Amino acid sequence: MLNQFFVAWEALCTQVPEPPRLKICDRYANSQLENQFGELIRFRERFIDDGQAIVFNTMYTTCRGTCSGTSATIESLREVLSPVFGTRLSFVSLSIDPIVDNRHKLLRFAKRYGADRPRQGLCDWHFLTGTRAQVTELRRSLGFYDLNPQVDADVTQHASTLMFGNSTNDRWSSMPSELPEEQLVTSIRRVAGYTFEQKYGIRP
Amino acid sequence: MQRRDAIKGAALGMLAGNAAAQVPTGPFSLPTVTFQKANQHEFPRDAFRIDLVKHYPLVPRPTAIGTWEQLMQGDLRDKAFGPGDSTPIGDSFHGIAREWAETPKHWEDYHCDSTLKGWQAWLDKEAHFGEVERFDSPPAAGQPKIMIPNWGGGNKGLPIKCYKIPMIETYRDLLDLKHPTRFYSYGGRIPGPTLKMRLGQPVVVRFENHLETETSIHLHGGHSPSHSDGFPSFYVLQGKARDYFYPNILPLYLENGKHHVDVGESQSTMWYHDHAMDATAYNASKGLSGFAPCFGERELQLIRDGWLPGLGEKSCFDPEQKGFKLIKDPVTDKMVRDPALEDPHWPGFYKHEYGCEPYYNPYDLPLVLQDRVFDPETGQIAYDNTGHNGYIGHTMVVNGIPYPKCSVERRKYRFRILDGSNARVFRLRIMSAEKFLAANRDGIDVIPLNMSVPAEGPTLPLLQPQTIPPIVDENAPGAIAARPNRYDAASENYLRIGKDSWLWSHAKHMKSLVLMMANRADIVVDFGALTKDMKLAPGETREFYLVNTMPQFDGRGPKQKLDDGGDPRVLPAPFDVVGIQGVPDQRLVEANRPVPLVKFVVTGESVANDAKVVDGTPLMTTHRIIQDHEVKAVREFIFERGKGAWQINGRFYDPTITNAGPILDGAEEWVLRNGGGGWWHPIHIHLESHQLISYEKDFAADAILDRDDPPAPVVLGGLKELLHLIPEPERIGLHDTMALGPNTVTRIRMRHRTWNGPFVFHCHNLEHEDMRMMFNFEPVPEKTTPEDLLPNIVPTARTHGNDVTWNGGFRPNQRVGELPWEYPPIPQTPVTDAGEDLIPPRPRTP
Repeated sequence: MLNQFFVAWEALCTQVPEPPRLKICDRYANSQLENQFGELIRFRERFIDDGQAIVFNTMYTTCRGTCSGTSATIESLREVLSPVFGTRLSFVSLSIDPIVDNRHKLLRFAKRYGADRPRQGLCDWHFLTGTRAQVTELRRSLGFYDLNPQVDADVTQHASTLMFGNSTNDRWSSMPSELPEEQLVTSIRRVAGYTFEQKYGIRP
Repeated sequence: MQRRDAIKGAALGMLAGNAAAQVPTGPFSLPTVTFQKANQHEFPRDAFRIDLVKHYPLVPRPTAIGTWEQLMQGDLRDKAFGPGDSTPIGDSFHGIAREWAETPKHWEDYHCDSTLKGWQAWLDKEAHFGEVERFDSPPAAGQPKIMIPNWGGGNKGLPIKCYKIPMIETYRDLLDLKHPTRFYSYGGRIPGPTLKMRLGQPVVVRFENHLETETSIHLHGGHSPSHSDGFPSFYVLQGKARDYFYPNILPLYLENGKHHVDVGESQSTMWYHDHAMDATAYNASKGLSGFAPCFGERELQLIRDGWLPGLGEKSCFDPEQKGFKLIKDPVTDKMVRDPALEDPHWPGFYKHEYGCEPYYNPYDLPLVLQDRVFDPETGQIAYDNTGHNGYIGHTMVVNGIPYPKCSVERRKYRFRILDGSNARVFRLRIMSAEKFLAANRDGIDVIPLNMSVPAEGPTLPLLQPQTIPPIVDENAPGAIAARPNRYDAASENYLRIGKDSWLWSHAKHMKSLVLMMANRADIVVDFGALTKDMKLAPGETREFYLVNTMPQFDGRGPKQKLDDGGDPRVLPAPFDVVGIQGVPDQRLVEANRPVPLVKFVVTGESVANDAKVVDGTPLMTTHRIIQDHEVKAVREFIFERGKGAWQINGRFYDPTITNAGPILDGAEEWVLRNGGGGWWHPIHIHLESHQLISYEKDFAADAILDRDDPPAPVVLGGLKELLHLIPEPERIGLHDTMALGPNTVTRIRMRHRTWNGPFVFHCHNLEHEDMRMMFNFEPVPEKTTPEDLLPNIVPTARTHGNDVTWNGGFRPNQRVGELPWEYPPIPQTPVTDAGEDLIPPRPRTP
């Protein structure tokens, strides 16, 4: 019976023009930033507007906490996810200590994780820096902040989460980067994947 | 111009040149960011036009009714979910719980035979899960009792009902916006179809996912097998279906060597909602929730005998309890399902009237309260995960309708109120229209303490503001204690009859209640008494408002006023202690201006034979309190923020390990501790009810986050003493979601029965849940070797949390740890541990 209703609903639905989409990623800031190669990048234009998938995290090069671990995780995620996503996925690491982290420092940091030059068969991995205002705007628009201003201002207490999704389907999610890699891979594929096969590794 | 009028469309906003139109564009000019949180009390001028009574959440008609044998081996096998779905029960992509066809080994404790299969196993379970006495038994004095089996679907019990509910996108014109609003819905309904359950009558629902996200459906308050419990990674993938098996059984308890049915566990107000890992908050904000009221024998007895509001015997009647109502089709001459029972506008749903809808009750209305942000430009729900704090909105939606009205008669009504929002906490009151409008316009302080509504007169002039000067100097010592509560003086009495899924043991008068996310409040409002001595001419109305007085501006929780530091009632005590005799009048943390949720419009003559429930009426008196000797282990869990996400005992949620392994059919005591920072966490534990042992403040907790700015030393008003003013059965109660306010520690006790896991417990602030404030527990049979039960502690947890404490010591009869899981989270996914040596990796399933 519900089935009949569903058919009727579908017929009804086709007559209604599709209302505009309101995307979660509409609120992501279009900050002007510089990557480790000195390239100027506008965040939205480069990573959101063309329907790309991204994996995003915040870091700073002098971190004594989670950043090196997170970056190592991303290095290995890059190996695993590149064959799945091809060129449609980018990894983005935003420095939250932009006064210290100029692009040369970022390049040196990126070298440790094999991101000092584009590599064949691997997705792009950008390390971004900019003015403090631009960085803060982007970070806050992506949800990387704390309601407690003291915690928010303290870079050593920054979030060690990975945010991922794709702007075509507008599905976004975050996960702590210290979770086991298998779980990160399954979640990133499930949320940021475009097709059923990309999401679950099986045909529908 | 009111802000909310601007929602009516950007064109209007542009013309008026209001503030919203002038905000520069950018990431922080979006509706979720720019809404004026201080003006949440404002409502549109054309509010309260749509009547809730005319938009009752409809009840779906089953697609098949039959015994297990008929469904699995008989004629119903191929069409259990309707002619359009030829996949038999259990053959859907995600399958059905194994308890559907097998008997777990540990049910041998209940004298079941685990070697039996299929129909024989089903009859074996029917024979060993006990019986309960029917509500209308005995039919007459001296006649034998009528018993129905606890486990239905066999030869003697109530037959199994099957439903099919597709999850689809639905469009609704809500606020006269430019475009219809897109929702995710169960079966096209917002809220979802009301699944009316009967204890002892199993239900199988095939949820089919036609959405672009993965889903998982949790029956909140249910006692269901793990496969059907909406475990976060037991998804219903896009384009796939899962058969959810809700056996609707009561757990058993052992007394004097014999198993009895624990009828005190009979659920009343359950609901179902999305629970998919990483996607719950997003899916729920789009509308995936619905009611599942459950009717047990005691509750039906109370309705039949006229204690609870209803039509007496008529409200206990299900026309299709044992099978479809059939008529002869004049064309084909075959017997077909009677179409007269269905709503002509909504085929597949019952008509909302007596003789059609099961347990039809016009005086029992479920209300789900939600807050949303609607974008004026696109008309769509603006979702924002705002740093994973918790999503709050500015438009109050009740049953999917913004600012509805509700036409009621002058009699008692039962409202099952659910806080279905992602992160908003409500404090609910009922105020007369005059007092509400004055307080909404000019603040609560304009309401005189002794104002009474005049007995007669068609209209009342609004109060003039500033007629009452401030009563006390707030800086004077003792001033707070001396200050009378104006809200209490201005709000009306109602009866509270239940919390969460269960009825209270006795009805209790209240004036306000605190409702956190996922909490339910079962209340009875007597509109007859509220309009007593008033003469209403035909067509004349008297109006009351259900209002929210909780000030909240972000997902952290309600705002505390500075002058309330020492008032225990600013903390979310699991019960509101306001309105109870013996509590000194104190100023509470309540917004100066109340926010309207529903307008009740009372008309007609007062009725003669109203429901009999009054303050103190015994309701569900069979709750069994967990005694000290039953407790086999104590665990402590600390809920806190860490590394930009949410942790329990210093760990993030990992769906592949078990964080606690309580003994099946035993009881445990859990200490739930708030890790500080001013956050509110409603802790929901799956599988069964829990009971409250203590609820205390712990200001040391905040030192974890904020050493530089410790809270001022306060003399605690003695939350314990206040709680003890609530009758003990209600305080201990049965809960499924425990409010854990800032700086609080609560001790709860819980039995773990019938089903082995995995199950989860988590914070029901959905953004916190998605960001990993969740743990697994897996009840394990007692007969396991100690080697299997290694304690589950990680180094960070040792610093400020301990899963295995009992008065600082460890006793041999406390057994904690974990066992391999019964189900892999995702088939064929390799599973590893969290990197800790103490946690044995789960073996892969062959």
